[in-house]
Amino acid sequence: MKSAFRNAYYLTLSRFSLNPNASILHLVPAVSTFSSPPSSVFKNLSFRSPLTATLSSASMVGGDSDAPQSSPSLEKQFEKFRVELEDSGILRERIRAVVLEIESATRLMQASLLLVHQSKPIPEVLEKAKARINVLKDLYNKLAEVVRECPGQYYRYHGDWRSETQMIVSLLAFMHWLETGTLLMHTEAEEKLGLNNSDFGLDVEDYLIGICFMSNEMPRYVVNQVTAGDYDCPRKVLTFLTDLNAAFRMLNLRNDFLRKKFDSMKYDLRRVEEVYYDVKIRGLATSGDSVGDQGTQGQS
Amino acid sequence: MLWLYSTSAVSRRISVSWLMATNSKIKPQRLPPSVKRANTMSTHSSIKDAFSIYTDYLNALNEKRERVVKASRDVTMNSKKVIFQVHRISKNNKEEVLEKAEKDLAAVTDQHMSRLVKELQGTDFWKLRRAYSPGVQEYVEAATFFKFCQTGTLLKLDEINASLLPLSDPSLEPLQINLLDYLLGTHAHECMIEVLFTRLLQLADLTGELMRLAIGRISDGEVEFAERICRFVRDIYRELTLVVPLMDDSLDMKLKMDTMLQSVVKIENACFSVRVRGSEYTPLLGSSDPSSFLLGVSDVEL
Repeated sequence: MKSAFRNAYYLTLSRFSLNPNASILHLVPAVSTFSSPPSSVFKNLSFRSPLTATLSSASMVGGDSDAPQSSPSLEKQFEKFRVELEDSGILRERIRAVVLEIESATRLMQASLLLVHQSKPIPEVLEKAKARINVLKDLYNKLAEVVRECPGQYYRYHGDWRSETQMIVSLLAFMHWLETGTLLMHTEAEEKLGLNNSDFGLDVEDYLIGICFMSNEMPRYVVNQVTAGDYDCPRKVLTFLTDLNAAFRMLNLRNDFLRKKFDSMKYDLRRVEEVYYDVKIRGLATSGDSVGDQGTQGQS
Repeated sequence: MLWLYSTSAVSRRISVSWLMATNSKIKPQRLPPSVKRANTMSTHSSIKDAFSIYTDYLNALNEKRERVVKASRDVTMNSKKVIFQVHRISKNNKEEVLEKAEKDLAAVTDQHMSRLVKELQGTDFWKLRRAYSPGVQEYVEAATFFKFCQTGTLLKLDEINASLLPLSDPSLEPLQINLLDYLLGTHAHECMIEVLFTRLLQLADLTGELMRLAIGRISDGEVEFAERICRFVRDIYRELTLVVPLMDDSLDMKLKMDTMLQSVVKIENACFSVRVRGSEYTPLLGSSDPSSFLLGVSDVEL
C-alpha cells in the first residue's frame, strides 16, 4: 500500500514540475481525469476513495458540505490580493517600458560623449550630448508620472531604473567637468533631469555611484589627451580627482556596492598620478607650479 | 532633497532636520534662490560642503537601517519562540499552550514590532524592506499558526494589520504589513501546519508502522479533524497558486510553492492513512494505553 502511495506522490511531483501552471487539483493522487472546474473535483473524489466519503458527510465548520470551496472570506482576501498584484504588475510593465527608452537615449548620449577620447573638440561633443539631456528629461518626467500613481512606492520600483540613473549621472557629471572643471552636485544633477525631491527625486546613493563611474572615465581620458598633446590635462584631472577622493573619504561607507565603487576610485587616482608623473618628469607639463619649462610647449 | 548652504556649520544643523523632514510627509521649507547660488565659490570648499551633507545623509540612513535590522532580528527570534510554543500543543494542554502563545505573541507585537513603526514612515517602508522583511514574515508565520491552532482558520491580512494599529500614535503612519510579506509568511505557515499535523498523528500513532492497539472504526471526530486540516491547506495552496506568479521578485516564492505542495501531499497521504488503516483492524478493545487519544473509550464487543 505504501509503495503505491509513494509512486503516486512522486508522480504528482513530477507532473507538477512539467507543467507548473497546472492546477494542484489535477495532481491529487489516485484520481485520473480532471477536465472539470475546481469546485466539482471534490465531488469526483467521492467516487474514488473511501477517504473522501467523509468529505460529503462530515459537517464542515462554517462551510457547505456539498461543494467544499474555500471559505468566502479566504477567497475574497486572495481575490483582492490578485487584483492588487496584477495592478502593480501592470505598473511595473509601464515603468520598464519607459526605462527601456531611457536606456537607449543614454546609450546614444554615451556614444557621442565617447568622441571626447578621440580629441574631437569639446564644445562640439558636448553639443551633441546635451541634446540628449532634453530627451532624458522628458522620459524621466514620464517615469515620474507613472510612479505618481502609487505614492510612496518610489523605492518599490527603484531597482528598475537604478542602474540607468547611475549611468546617466556619470555622463552628466563628466560633461559638467569637461565644461567647467567642477563637480556636478546632487541638486544640480536633479535639476538637469527635471527631477525634484518631493515628488520623484534622485537617490543620493545613485548619485554617488554615478560620480564613481565618472571617475572611472578619467584615467582613459587623461591618457588620450596626453597622447594628443594636451600636457596640462593631467594636472587638472589630478587636482580634481584628489579633491573628489578626499571628499569621498569623509563618507562612512558600509561594505556595499558604493563602497566597492569608491575603492575602484583609488585605482583611477593612482593611474592619473602615474600619467601626471610621466608628463612632469619629462618636463612636458607647462603648469604654473612646475619649475623651469625647458622650452616645451603644451598644446590643446 | 539636499540644499547647499554657504557655511558648513549651518548646513550640518539644518541638514539633519532636513533628513527628518524627508522621511515624513512634512513639506520642507524652500530656501531663497540666492542662498543656493551663492555656493559656486571655490571648487574645493563646495565639494567638501556638499559631501558633508551626503555624509550626514548616509550616516542617518545607515543608523536607521541598523535599528530596523536589530528590531527585525528580535521579531524573528521571538516569533520563532511563539511557533515552538504552539508546536507543543496536544489534546491535554491545548488551553495553556495557546494561552501562553497568545501572551508571547502579544509581547512580540508590543515590544518589537512597535520599534519598526517609527522607522518605517514614508518612503522608508519600501526603501528598507530588505532589512525588515524576514522578521515580518516570521511574525506573520507565528500569528497565522497561532490563529490556526486556536480557531482552524487563516488569519487575514486585514486582521493582522488591525492588530498593529494600536502600536502607533496618531501622528505617525501605522505599520501595515505589505501583502508580499504576508504571502511569504503564510507559505511558511503551511509548512508549520504539516509539521504539527504529522507530529500529532504520530502521537496518536495512527500513521506509524506499529499499531499497538486494535482500533475499530476511527471516531468521526478524528477523521473530521484530519479532513479539516487537509482542506485548509489545500485551499490556501490553491489560492496561492493564482497569486504567487504576480508577486514582485516571484522566483523565490515560486520555488517555495514546490515545498508547499510537498507539505500538502504529505497531509493528504496522512489523511489517507488515517482513513484506510482505521478500517484494517477489527473492533476489539478500547485502549488503556496512557498515550492513546482513545484513553477511556469503552470496550466494544465483536
